[in-house]
Amino acid sequence: MIRLVYIIIGTAFLLLSSGTASGFERFPPPDFESGYQQPTPANPAPRRNIYEYVDTAVLLAGLSLSSYLVLRTRSRRAILALCVFSLFYFGFWRKGCVCPIGAIQNIALSIFDRDYAVPITVMLFFLLPLVFTLFFGRTFCAAVCPLGAIQDLVVLRPISVPEWLEGGLRMFAYVYLAAAVLFAATGSAFVICRYDPFISFFHLSGNFHLLILGACFLLVGVFVGRPYCRFVCPYGVILRQLSRISKWKVAITPEECIKCRLCEDSCPFGAIRAPTADWPAHDYNKSKKRLAFLIILLPVLVFSSGWIGYALRPVTSRVHATVRLADRVYLEETGQAEETTDASSAFRGTGKDIQELYAEALDIQAGFGLGGWLAGGFVGLVLAGKLIAVSLRRRRTDYQADRAGCLACGRCFEYCPQEHAKRKLAKDN
Amino acid sequence: MNVRLATANTKVLIGVLIAAAVIVAIVAVVRLDTTGKRGSGLGKEFVYDVGDLAKIDPNLILYKESTPAIDTGFTKTQAIAVDSEGSIYAAGDKAIRKFAESGNLLGETRLAGMPRCLTVAGDGQVYVGFKEHLEIYDAQGKRLATWQRLGDDAVLTSIAVSKNDVFVADAGNRIVHHFDTTGKLINRIGARDMDRNIPGFVIPSPYFDLAVGRDGLLRVSDPGRHRIEAYTFDGDLEFSWGGFSAGIEGFCGCCNPVNFAILADENFVTCEKGLIRVKIADPDGAFVGVVAGPEQFVEGGASRVSEYGPGAQAGAFDVAVDTSGRIFVLDTHKGVVRIFTRKKGE
Repeated sequence: MIRLVYIIIGTAFLLLSSGTASGFERFPPPDFESGYQQPTPANPAPRRNIYEYVDTAVLLAGLSLSSYLVLRTRSRRAILALCVFSLFYFGFWRKGCVCPIGAIQNIALSIFDRDYAVPITVMLFFLLPLVFTLFFGRTFCAAVCPLGAIQDLVVLRPISVPEWLEGGLRMFAYVYLAAAVLFAATGSAFVICRYDPFISFFHLSGNFHLLILGACFLLVGVFVGRPYCRFVCPYGVILRQLSRISKWKVAITPEECIKCRLCEDSCPFGAIRAPTADWPAHDYNKSKKRLAFLIILLPVLVFSSGWIGYALRPVTSRVHATVRLADRVYLEETGQAEETTDASSAFRGTGKDIQELYAEALDIQAGFGLGGWLAGGFVGLVLAGKLIAVSLRRRRTDYQADRAGCLACGRCFEYCPQEHAKRKLAKDN
Repeated sequence: MNVRLATANTKVLIGVLIAAAVIVAIVAVVRLDTTGKRGSGLGKEFVYDVGDLAKIDPNLILYKESTPAIDTGFTKTQAIAVDSEGSIYAAGDKAIRKFAESGNLLGETRLAGMPRCLTVAGDGQVYVGFKEHLEIYDAQGKRLATWQRLGDDAVLTSIAVSKNDVFVADAGNRIVHHFDTTGKLINRIGARDMDRNIPGFVIPSPYFDLAVGRDGLLRVSDPGRHRIEAYTFDGDLEFSWGGFSAGIEGFCGCCNPVNFAILADENFVTCEKGLIRVKIADPDGAFVGVVAGPEQFVEGGASRVSEYGPGAQAGAFDVAVDTSGRIFVLDTHKGVVRIFTRKKGE
């Protein structure tokens, strides 16, 4: 109950302090009749470069500590403390930027745009969590990611999400990743940053709609653990795959599993897998046929999804400002729009040739066509892979943390009697 | 039974809450204005209407346009000056053109570069300022002298000539160069010197005007401080007047007045850019009246003032006066000289 009160007070504070602040650039500045002396305008000094390296060092230290706490100490309380630190440092202090999730876009743009260079610190922010995941599992998600941390703190009354729904919803993260890379690679937009639901909280100011979006995520997060991490986060998609092959992994129990089932409901993220029974023969044969069918279906799914991505290029390319401008100018030129916009007026003011603008927009749209094939194909491949995975059965004799889905939060440790026995033994000794 | 019912009800409630949150989140994402076309969403009371500031009380307008505007024929105009006989000199397009009061073209002097400022001395010699140096021509357009270059940073914007002295405003170096009539540098005026209580000029844009008053003091505009300062020829700051205000009595915008002239009765004619206003102030800086405002200068009236913003910033109007009190305004947008005379009884 006390925790609920804290959460409500905390959320109310964030909402109130994140109110929208808007303003006009005014010319001339307003007069004041109260004798107020207008201060001399001054621009804040840019952040010193050294702090970027400090941030990177803190990230490295956070990842190391998180990995140690998850795999060696196995202390939920310590993980939670690190979680709170990360929320305040990377979230409220560093205002959620730069973050590895958004860095996907910097990397994508740098690959496709030779004029765009990624700062070394952004590169490190992107790579370090990946490297740590390869060795230790998703310890970045556990206690270092500020987006994960803010959600982790509001998990109050978790309900279990059916596996079929979980898998279906997770598809959105793959689509989001494909879209984010497509828009970043074409120089259109950094959509991950644009739609970051918690950025308004971290900045303590921002767009009202994003504030609402963030509040909705937190509200859902009270019942569905970390909804952004599980169903939206594009970086999580990459971490999932790396975590599958990580050298070390989170173990629910430090000793042999006694199948007490106490841990079964401890995970708010649905990442604990129960032991499996033997596969009945008729199910096995049915699954084998289904698997064969799905493998044949795979190229069809990849191709059809790719084609959908290609066919959507008139829509997707409108995210690019040049395409939007060309559309607008075309409407004005053909009399379908009477008034000009600021952008179209500015374009006309430059004296540039309209045909050149149309040609540039067509070029960009062609890029979206190719990108649409790749992004759509990727989504189709993932979809086919998920369907194939349903037809496969892994044999489990113990309760195990799902290697891809486990966020290494450490909640299950506290439920394991073997863990308690080990700690008692250690204490007695 | 009751426990199971309560559990079922709780699940339904949670489901409804989640569904509502998801719907609200989707609406929030869809309604997110990523291109800014929906504006700020703030009400009318938050809109700062510059058009209102452009409206000037007609009772304050003391002048009227007396004759048709003189078309300079230049594509780009820079400055004007009027000689003691009432002839009008306009600078622009690598030339100086001389017009009669009627608007007839009396002559043209071709120049090697784009002139930025000019003045006509009492003896009829025409002083023409280029970016970095100054040239002197006689009334027939023959070049008499070319003075030393004042450095790469120099941006000359105004010249004033008295009996034995020539003052040149340099916006690039934020200083006034004081020469004798042979071109020998005497001193520099206006450099920051707190021992002499001189704060230095604030010149955010290349508009920096000066004139010599009948009281023997040099008047220099300090547009960044929205004032006009009075200096002795030795460079001592005597006094200043003017201040910032969007109201009619002050100078508005980032940096005004951009140009000024001194009438025979020692009143000042000031010219502002952005919100284009030509006004009269007495020798102490008190507001006297308006020559013309945005409604007179901008086609379509006050409502189009904002559209003239960038243009007005790029090419401020220049002003000059003659001995009979007429005011000449160089409209740099249209390339014409507009002549204003005081209304009778005002």
